[in-house]
Amino acid sequence: MQKKYIEVTDRKDRIKRSFHTLTSMVGRNIHNQYRNSTLGILWTLLNPLLNMVIITIIFTTILGRNEMDGIYFPVYYLSGLAVFGLLRSSTTNALPCMVVNHDLLTKTRIQHEVFPLSNVLSALVDFCFTALALFIVMLIFIKKPGVGFHPTLLMTVVPFLPAFLAFCLGVSFILATIYIRFRDIKHIYNVVLTLWMYLTPLFYSVSYIEGHERIKMVLKLNPMYHYVTYFRQLLIGQVPSPMTHLLIYAWGLGMFGVGFLVFHFAKKKFLLYI
Amino acid sequence: MDELIQTSPNTSVPDTDLPLVEIQDVSMRFRMPSEKIDNVKEFVIKFLKRQLRYQDLWVLKNISFNVQRGESVGILGRNGAGKSTLLRLISGIIEPTTGCITVRGKIVPLLKLGAGFDINATGKENIYLNGAMLGYSKKEMQARYDSIVEFSELGKFMNMPIKNYSSGMLARLGFSIAVDVKPDLLIVDEVLAVGDVSFKKKCAEKIESLQKNGTTLLLVSHSAQQVETLCKKAIWIKDGEIVMSGDSHTVSEAYAADSINPK
Repeated sequence: MQKKYIEVTDRKDRIKRSFHTLTSMVGRNIHNQYRNSTLGILWTLLNPLLNMVIITIIFTTILGRNEMDGIYFPVYYLSGLAVFGLLRSSTTNALPCMVVNHDLLTKTRIQHEVFPLSNVLSALVDFCFTALALFIVMLIFIKKPGVGFHPTLLMTVVPFLPAFLAFCLGVSFILATIYIRFRDIKHIYNVVLTLWMYLTPLFYSVSYIEGHERIKMVLKLNPMYHYVTYFRQLLIGQVPSPMTHLLIYAWGLGMFGVGFLVFHFAKKKFLLYI
Repeated sequence: MDELIQTSPNTSVPDTDLPLVEIQDVSMRFRMPSEKIDNVKEFVIKFLKRQLRYQDLWVLKNISFNVQRGESVGILGRNGAGKSTLLRLISGIIEPTTGCITVRGKIVPLLKLGAGFDINATGKENIYLNGAMLGYSKKEMQARYDSIVEFSELGKFMNMPIKNYSSGMLARLGFSIAVDVKPDLLIVDEVLAVGDVSFKKKCAEKIESLQKNGTTLLLVSHSAQQVETLCKKAIWIKDGEIVMSGDSHTVSEAYAADSINPK
């Protein structure tokens, strides 16, 4: 295809522009999020903790289970919540990002990819706080079964997060694109997200449904199942198998690729509908 | 200081002989749905009833012109003539349907009052935010901060959220940042219309001094008078086509005559 707009400048200059915009937008997102609450950043810590307290009381008293897959229940739940929370917050924030930033999109020269990306990175900051909450809980319950700080935790930073962030970004790209055209996707996605959450073993374990092969198959088709399980394996000091690594990277890069292409090719039609 | 800048031409762009902006046979079509449908439910219903219709609107038709380095060009036209679309095309925000645009150099577009600003943040924070969008780090903007504030004359409002600014103040801030980064091409879309007389005069002087250093100005306006005072050349656009181009005085007069007594 013939190029219709040619900008003869330093490539470095353009990258620099996108980079500085990205960092300042992430800063702005985080700043805006905590500006109006007196508890400030503490909320991000308290929110998962309070959530965990509720679900733990319910499950330990009603179901009478203290551990799941060999992990003390509060830690089991909170670890799943942290991973799923990153997907939830990055995608729900990225969903309306093209429309919210309408002015910037149509009047300034920002690379469009910056908008979803900044939301995913802001969600990563939230994830760090949830992880901190998780570590606090682990410190409190250090004596309980399956709780401990293992060196495998470091693998969260390198093999795990890049694959997972690529996955979240891919989903965000697709959602942001659809939202421009169809505003009611917001409500649809909320329902999908709830269903997705229940299909992910956050407060139950796959071992419960032993024997129901079909349900198990469905669960394994859910990429979030693999991300959550991977993270929990790191928590108890296991190194996930090469197959698991392959799976989480296939999902991550695949989703990113599809999302990026959808976003990129819908770009030209964006401005009419915003 | 001024002399020093004059003798050192902009090094980021080597081909100084080539025009800064080249517009070759550019047309722009907007495909508007005859009814705005923005949710799945309506889309499906209309799709099943086969009521999805589009309307093609050619906003710009076969536009070609060049802008040389250091020129100042005014684009005249009435509301809806396609002026702003043209500027957005040159800024690279949208792509033309057909034709090709080449831009050689650093562009700073000022297309809307307060675009690139966060209205909840203070003036000071916005200088850094806007600078980031132009490709400057916080540190680089810190070095420019004082001169920006000085030029905008908004020193005492810097710690106030800009949602409390008047439109004139927003224009001052936006313009001050844009001229401070010394762009090769400054694109202004009616933004200056809201400034007060003394600021307009100051802007005109600043634009003139920037031009001496090689900055090119592209100004959109429906006011013939403004184009005549700020620009040497002018292009008159009507219904997406160039009616006349050339010396700003001649074009402005023809445009003014046409606005009073349209053919």
